[in-house]
Amino acid sequence: MEVFIENENNVTTARFVGRLDTPASQEVAKSIEPILENPTGTIVLDCKEMSYISSSGLRIFLTIRKAAAAKGGNVIVKDINNDIRQVFMMTGFLNLFEIQ
Amino acid sequence: MKKIIEFFKEGKSMETWGRLTLVLMAAIILEATSFMQQRFLARSTRREAMIKAESVLSTTRYEIMDVVEQAEQAIRDNMWIAQWCLDNPDSLINVTRRIVEEYTAVVGSTVALVPGYNKKLPFYAPYTYVKDGEIVFTSLATAEYNYPAHEWFIEPLEMGMGYWSEPYLDTNGGNIKMTTYSRPVLDPLGKTGAVITVDISLEWLSKHVGRVDIYPDAYSVLVSRKGVLMMSPSDSLAMQITLQEMAERLKSEKGFSELIDGMLSGKSGMVTVQTAEEGSSSVYYAPVPRTGWSMAVLIPEREVFKEVRRMGFLCMLLQILGVLMLIFILLSVARSWIEYQKTKDVEIHLERELEIGREIQMSMVPKVFPPFPERNDIDIAATIVPAKMVGGDLYDFYIRDEKLFFCIGDVSGKGVPASLLMAVTRSLFRNISAQEDSPAKIVEGINRSMDTNDETGMFVTFFCGVLEMHTGRLRYCNAGHNAPLLFTDHVQLLDVVPNLPLGVEGSMVFQEQQINLLLDDALYLYTDGISEAENPRHELFGLERMEAVLHERRTAMEHLDAMKAAIADFVEDAPQSDDITMLFIHYLNDNTQNNNMARHLILHNDIQQIPQLAEFVETIAEEKNLDQALAMSLNLALEEAVTNVILYAYPNGIDGLVDIEAFIREDCLEFILSDSGKPFDPTAAPDADITLGVDERSIGGLGIYLVRNIMDTVSYRYENGKNILTMIKKI
Repeated sequence: MEVFIENENNVTTARFVGRLDTPASQEVAKSIEPILENPTGTIVLDCKEMSYISSSGLRIFLTIRKAAAAKGGNVIVKDINNDIRQVFMMTGFLNLFEIQ
Repeated sequence: MKKIIEFFKEGKSMETWGRLTLVLMAAIILEATSFMQQRFLARSTRREAMIKAESVLSTTRYEIMDVVEQAEQAIRDNMWIAQWCLDNPDSLINVTRRIVEEYTAVVGSTVALVPGYNKKLPFYAPYTYVKDGEIVFTSLATAEYNYPAHEWFIEPLEMGMGYWSEPYLDTNGGNIKMTTYSRPVLDPLGKTGAVITVDISLEWLSKHVGRVDIYPDAYSVLVSRKGVLMMSPSDSLAMQITLQEMAERLKSEKGFSELIDGMLSGKSGMVTVQTAEEGSSSVYYAPVPRTGWSMAVLIPEREVFKEVRRMGFLCMLLQILGVLMLIFILLSVARSWIEYQKTKDVEIHLERELEIGREIQMSMVPKVFPPFPERNDIDIAATIVPAKMVGGDLYDFYIRDEKLFFCIGDVSGKGVPASLLMAVTRSLFRNISAQEDSPAKIVEGINRSMDTNDETGMFVTFFCGVLEMHTGRLRYCNAGHNAPLLFTDHVQLLDVVPNLPLGVEGSMVFQEQQINLLLDDALYLYTDGISEAENPRHELFGLERMEAVLHERRTAMEHLDAMKAAIADFVEDAPQSDDITMLFIHYLNDNTQNNNMARHLILHNDIQQIPQLAEFVETIAEEKNLDQALAMSLNLALEEAVTNVILYAYPNGIDGLVDIEAFIREDCLEFILSDSGKPFDPTAAPDADITLGVDERSIGGLGIYLVRNIMDTVSYRYENGKNILTMIKKI
C-alpha cells in the first residue's frame, strides 16, 4: 500500500494505492499524520486504486473524519469500488462520509 | 654413527630387526665364501709355487751341471797332454795355461806332481790363474802352501778318481772363493804321476746360475757335501758358514734339520722350514750329481701368498664396502619407513579430523527416524552413506506451518571444501525457508546468498520441495538435480525443469512446478551416488534397478535399507566413490475424504503475516470458482478474526501461532481458527452500533462485527487449551 498526499488550493488529496489491510494500515497511520495535524478545508480520500480495506483501514478513515469534524474540515471519499462500497455499507460508513 | 644410533632407537619393529639379521647373514655368507675362495686360491698358489720352484731347481741344477761338465771336460781334454808331460814337467805350465785360456768357467788350473814321482822335481805344481782379467803364473810348490797337504790333492789320489773339493778361499792365487775339480794323472804304466785341477769361482758360479727370479725374495743355495754354503744370496756367506750355521742365524724353529739331513744325504724333496727371521718358507732341494753337492731353492711363504693375501685384502675391502652399502640401503629404507609411518600418522590424524567433520556434518541433518512420530500422515526416511572422504551430499526436511519443507543436494567435488559448501547450503535452506514458502524463492535465495565466485568453480545440484500436508499440494523447484522418482499408481520420473545448479549464476530466476499428491503417493529423491554406483565391471546401478527395488510395498526406512543392500550387492567389492544419499517421502494423508478439500495455513502472531491470508483465500477462491466480491469479503472476515487473535490472544512479545483450516464443501466453506492464547471469545463482544454518528462512533469493535456480518455462522469454543473459532459461509 502506498499513500500519496497532495495539497492544492486548500484541498488535501490522499491517494491510496493497493490493499489497505492491517499491516498496511499501521504504515498509513504514519503517512497521514500531516492531514491529522491540519484537518481543515477539503480532504479528498482518493480510493480509485485501492482494492481492499479492512477494519483497521476503516479506522484510519474514521480517524481522519473525526479530526476533520473537530476542525470543521470536509472529508470526501472518492471512487470506491463496489466491493469496498459493500464494506462501507455493512459498517454504516456510507452514512459517515460523503462518497463521490 | 648418530644415524645408526637413532636407527636403533627408532626402529624397533620386527621388520627392522629382520633386516638387520638379513645384513648379518649376508655378511657371514660373504665372509665364508671369501674364506673358501682364499683357501682354494692358497692351494692353487702353493701348487703353482711348487711347480715354479721345481722348475727353477732343475734349471739351476742343469746350469750347475753344465759348469761341472765344462770343468770335467777341460780336464778330460787335456789329460793326455798332462800324461805326456809327466816326463817333461816344464811343459805342464802350458797345459794349465791352455785350460784357463780355453774354458771360461775355469779361473785357475794346476798340474801338481806327486812328490817323488819325478826325482828331479820332487815338488812341482805350476799354477795358472786369472787375476783381474789377466792370466798370471805362479807355483804352488812353496813351503807355505805345501800343496800335497790340500784336500784337492789328497782326495783324488786316495780315491783314484775325479773329485770336487769343498769350497775354500784360495790364498795362493786370486784370493777368491772357489771349488776345485781334481783328477789323478796316470802315466802309461798306470802309476799316478800328478793331479790335474781346474778351479771354479763360486762368485762367478753365483752370478752365472744363482739367479732365482720367480719371487722377489726367493733364493737358491748350493751346499757342499759337508754342508758348507757354496752359493747363497749373500756372497759373503758362501763358504764361511754351513747350513747348520745358517739355520742358527735364521733362528730356525722347525724343519731345518730335516732339510740338512735330506740335502747332505743326497736326496731330493721339499720341506717347510720355520725361522724367526723369515717366517715359513718352502724349500725344494735336489742333489747335483757327481759333485756331492746339493742344491736348494727357498721360497718364503709370505712371498708365495703375497698375491693371495693382497687379493684377500681386496676381497675383504670389497665385502666391507658391500656390507656398508647394505647397511646404508637398510638405513635409508628404514628412514623412509619411519617417514612413511610419520606420514601415515598425519594421515590418520587428518582422517580422524575429516571423520569429526563428517560427524558434525551429519549432526546437521535430521537423523532420528521416524522424525514425526506423532504424525500418521507422512512417513519419511533419509540416509547418507558417506564415501571414504567427507563428501558434499545433503538432505534436510522439517515441518513448519503444516508444510513439509525438504531438500536434497549434491555439492560438486569432495573433501573439506565440498563439506563446507554443503553446510552453508543446508543452513541457507533452513534460514530462507523459515520465512519463505515458495520453493523457487527458497532456491533463488540460496543461490543469491551463495558466493558465486569462479575461483572454486563449485556448484550444488539441489532439489527443494514444499508439501502442504493437508492438501497434498507439492510445489517444487529443481536446481540441476536428478529428477526424483514419483510413485503414484505407477512409477515415473517427476517432471522437472532442470534450471541451473546453485552457485553458477547468482541472478538466475528459477522455475517452480507443482503437482498434487494423493494418499499413498511417494517421492524418492536421490543423489547420483546411487544411479552411478559402479561395479567392478564398470556397469552403473541405473534407474531400472532403482525402480525394481522400490517396487515392493515397504515403509520408507525399509525402502532405503533395501536400496542400500541392493547397491552393496551390485557393486560387490568395488570401493564406494561417492556419497549415497536418499530421501523417501510417503504421503499418507487421506485428502480425498468426504470430498473435502482441506486448506491449511499457520501464521505467527505477527501482523506482517496477514498478507498471506490473501493468497490463502485466493487459492480457495480458485478451487471453488468464487467471485471476486465474495473472495474479498472472506479475506476480510478472516483478516479480522486473525487480527483479533494476533492482537489479543498472546501477551506482548510472546510468539504464538494462529492455525487456519479451510474446508471446502459442496455448499459451504468452513474456516476453523485455532490458537493457544488466553481464552477469548470474540463472539461475546457486543456488536458495534453502526447507526451512531461520527462523534459517537468508537474507533474499535468493527472487526468482529465484520466477521459476523460476512459469515453465516460464527461459533467459539475453548478446547484442550485452544481457542477455536468456527466460521461457515454458505455458497
